[in-house]
Amino acid sequence: MKTFLAQYRALLWQAVQVEWANAERWLSPLLFSGTMILLFVFTFGTVEPKFIPQLYIAATFLTAFFSLQISFSRVLEPDMQDRVFDQLRTYPISPSAWFLSKYTIVIALGVLILAPTLFLSDLFLNVSGKSLLNGSLAIIALMALLSLGALGVLLSTMMLRSNAKQILYPLIYFPLTIPVLLSAVESSHAILVDGKDLSYLMSSWLGLLVIFGIMYFTLCLLLFGELVKPE
Amino acid sequence: MIDARKQDRLTLALGIAVFAFAGLCWFYALKFAPPDAAQGEVYRIIYFHVPSAITAFLSSAVLAVLSLWTLFKRSPTAAVWSKASAEVGLIFTVLTLVTGSIWGRPTWGVWWDWDARLTTTLLLALLYAGYLIFTSSMSPGPQRDRMSAALGVIIGLDVPIIYKSVTWWRTLHQPPSLLRSGGSSMDPDMVKILMTCLVAMILIGAWLLWTRSVNLKLQASIEEHSHSVHSH
Amino acid sequence: MLEIKSLGFKYQYKTILSGLSFDAKPGEILHITGPNGSGKTTLMSILAGLRKESAGTIHYRLPDGTTALDRRSFVEYLPAEANALFGKMDAMSNLRLWLRLRGLDDSDNAIRPILKNWELDHPLIRENFSVESFSTGMKRRLALARLELSKTPCWLLDEPLYGLDAKGIDTFQTMLNGHLLSQGITIIVSHDIAPLERFRVRKLDLLHDGRAS
Repeated sequence: MKTFLAQYRALLWQAVQVEWANAERWLSPLLFSGTMILLFVFTFGTVEPKFIPQLYIAATFLTAFFSLQISFSRVLEPDMQDRVFDQLRTYPISPSAWFLSKYTIVIALGVLILAPTLFLSDLFLNVSGKSLLNGSLAIIALMALLSLGALGVLLSTMMLRSNAKQILYPLIYFPLTIPVLLSAVESSHAILVDGKDLSYLMSSWLGLLVIFGIMYFTLCLLLFGELVKPE
Repeated sequence: MIDARKQDRLTLALGIAVFAFAGLCWFYALKFAPPDAAQGEVYRIIYFHVPSAITAFLSSAVLAVLSLWTLFKRSPTAAVWSKASAEVGLIFTVLTLVTGSIWGRPTWGVWWDWDARLTTTLLLALLYAGYLIFTSSMSPGPQRDRMSAALGVIIGLDVPIIYKSVTWWRTLHQPPSLLRSGGSSMDPDMVKILMTCLVAMILIGAWLLWTRSVNLKLQASIEEHSHSVHSH
Repeated sequence: MLEIKSLGFKYQYKTILSGLSFDAKPGEILHITGPNGSGKTTLMSILAGLRKESAGTIHYRLPDGTTALDRRSFVEYLPAEANALFGKMDAMSNLRLWLRLRGLDDSDNAIRPILKNWELDHPLIRENFSVESFSTGMKRRLALARLELSKTPCWLLDEPLYGLDAKGIDTFQTMLNGHLLSQGITIIVSHDIAPLERFRVRKLDLLHDGRAS
């Protein structure tokens, strides 16, 4: 347990250092999401006030999904330089500590993208003057992120060996995460448009999101060990 | 060493038997099954569409099981079978989408409807395609087997969740379509014929899976032999 | 002691190694030789645990005679044509990471003497200076410093002298000597034989000993 924690901390600290040194890596998905929201504004034009919440939900989550995908697909990029990834495999590292450190950094980067995206789209898309941001929405977004993160780490590890990484990642990632997108959008819709609360949602969409999150977290934790084993 | 010629003959005989059975089922379904009260004759495509849809979804379960087997038993044979099951799954998802679309035109008046089952089938087709592209983009070996197996497990387990979420998504926006009342209201004769057609389709799927796996194994051994010829 | 019994390796149907058996004993340098493509680097990566052998066994025997559960705790690998360093991090952060992963002392007092051996103990090199801007020789010296710090009894060195100048080779020889004196095992692949001449080296030729054909 002591080695586990020490390894987790060491790997996490390494990831933080690399991300910090490379501002482009976490800034570019953020800029991408800003651009996407602007594009939504241009393509939708003037919207009737009653449609604003719906537009806000659709645009925000779609933007977040795309920019998170960009960020996730690059999680293991620093490890690919100079055969660091292979060297890590020759060290007696607990695969769970390795996975958890990657998961933590993915969630941290995700929050760094998600929070400004929610804020920016409220600023640009919601011209009604009354902010749509609230705690429930933040919780939904965070739960979606927690579910997506595990899958993001695992898929990005898998794609390391593939020759068709650029096209494959989105091709597999998006269909697999449809339940998360639907849950996030429908939950937000229920809250912002129908005026429901979180406890009501737990028995439907949010419940599905939680099941998805737990299942994927466990599955990816187990499978990650398989992926870093000797060939 | 397996006697290849004997195996070939067996495969051929089984194939003829399976397709003859399926042909008989379809012929009976087209000719003798009672017409549907609401849809008339058009509905008969159900005897092809529904069995192929079920086979397509079954393939994802088969893929998951075979992938787990690959992971736990480290079996290269199971890996070959997994790949074959994804290919068979892709064939049946495409068949389901095409027949669904053809059926949708006269009954719903549109070629495509965001019906829960059709939508899930479309996503399944994408996932099978993704899995196959992923497998073929890697060089053969245990590493590829293991990575593909991990992906197979994820896909197999995600399909029910996708199905559930898409069903909820549809029912929240519109009531379930009248045309898909299904089961209880169906004529017992129709149900019997449908079940027989389903058995026929699953047998076709199983035969395809078997043939394709043998085929893939043969391909691998040819490749292996060509290498040993080179090095001597 | 590292025990290799009837090791075989196939890659994409091609037999790279087969029926290879040897021991690497404490206090010994084993020099793996053979022409290009004879599987030297493959053998090293199998021993390091990057690739899985298709046949045979590899055991690391502890001094008490038992077999290690995970030989990676006792083996440090230096790959050819790469140093396995994070380019965006400075020298000290790199070394600290690898030491922490092995659960070793990562304090400045532990690291700096070794950095000094390798002529990297300068405030401008040590910290706040990312490794990606190092020269080839500096990166190699840092990778060798990690090897020395790992305190592992078994070293797998694939072309360790690549990019080293005369001074670096000298430091390498001193380090290797220390390792031998403390009963360490060294398995080495190197085209540059001269620096190894002052050591007693056992040769293993893969062309003759490593293949069935």
